[in-house]
Amino acid sequence: MNCGMEPIQREQIIARYLSRSLDSDAVEEFEGHYLGCDECFEELRVSERIAADLRASNLAWRQNEGVSVLQFRNNAELTHSARELDELRREVLEQSDSRVIIDLGRVTKIDSAGLGQLMSCYTHLVRNQGALKVVNASAEVKKVLDMTGISTLIPSFADESEAVRSFEN
Amino acid sequence: MGLYPAIDVSPVRQSDSPVPETTLTEPELERLRLKLRYKVLYHVGHNCADVDDLVQETLARFIRAGQNHQIRNTMELGAFLNGVCRNVILEYRRRMRREPPIDPEACQPETAIRPDAEHFEIRQAIDHGLAELADRDRAVLRALYLDGKDKDAICAEWNMTDAQFRVVLFRAKERFRRAYNLKPDK
Repeated sequence: MNCGMEPIQREQIIARYLSRSLDSDAVEEFEGHYLGCDECFEELRVSERIAADLRASNLAWRQNEGVSVLQFRNNAELTHSARELDELRREVLEQSDSRVIIDLGRVTKIDSAGLGQLMSCYTHLVRNQGALKVVNASAEVKKVLDMTGISTLIPSFADESEAVRSFEN
Repeated sequence: MGLYPAIDVSPVRQSDSPVPETTLTEPELERLRLKLRYKVLYHVGHNCADVDDLVQETLARFIRAGQNHQIRNTMELGAFLNGVCRNVILEYRRRMRREPPIDPEACQPETAIRPDAEHFEIRQAIDHGLAELADRDRAVLRALYLDGKDKDAICAEWNMTDAQFRVVLFRAKERFRRAYNLKPDK
């Protein structure tokens, strides 16, 4: 089915819908349209995945002696406006291994939103009989973790192999 | 409806149709459910435990409206359904304000965990798709989808023509579409 919308115009509307920068009337109008248009809905789904994957592409998983380690490829901030924030949580929630280490080596800043997401990851993993540990936190990030008491729940290690060994205890 | 052309999806038969009204086929119903789920999640968030109930309530009201001949313009079914869904979400929000859940943690659904192999395969396909993109293409996509820049600003910044922008965009979409089609997860 061809809905007749100009593709570039549609893509710009989709991009603004996904970044939530459309005003409420335009959101209503677009939703009313895609609920009745398979073609636009499919384009919306593909674009949403592209946007999510572009954000997530700063995150990478690897294995270290059976423990899943999530690390940032580039410098990142775990703050309320950061792109990586939702993706971090999503990556951890979609991960089937419940023993997870997050490498904070490239995290330059963390705020309450970032701490909230870390706690959300922790809660999810503990519910699934797992655990969350962090490694390589900078002095600034470590100070925030200690100050808020989060380091009593999510242990922080300077050395990754030490963190991996701690899962055996 | 200035921007969007009217579309006849006709999941509800016209009143002069010889077939009984509101005869949604199973695939039509599932398609509507998927779209409604998308809209509801957009508005209430992924942590809401009542998403499926809201979708079900919307569909029930939509079908009832069809049976009661309340859908006058079958060319604008999407808009009608959208209105029904909006009302359901508003009523839900009002109810939540009046009667907040006693233990908000208790109604958090456990997130479905993808099987290892499937997750790895999707991740690989996506990484492959991203790696295949030229740096400029990736930057253009980031500007459009993450930074919220419009086409003209992107074209000016990257010294591109409209046609080049179009090629970058649709080549990327095609790659990603192929990657997801390998393992559709919805």
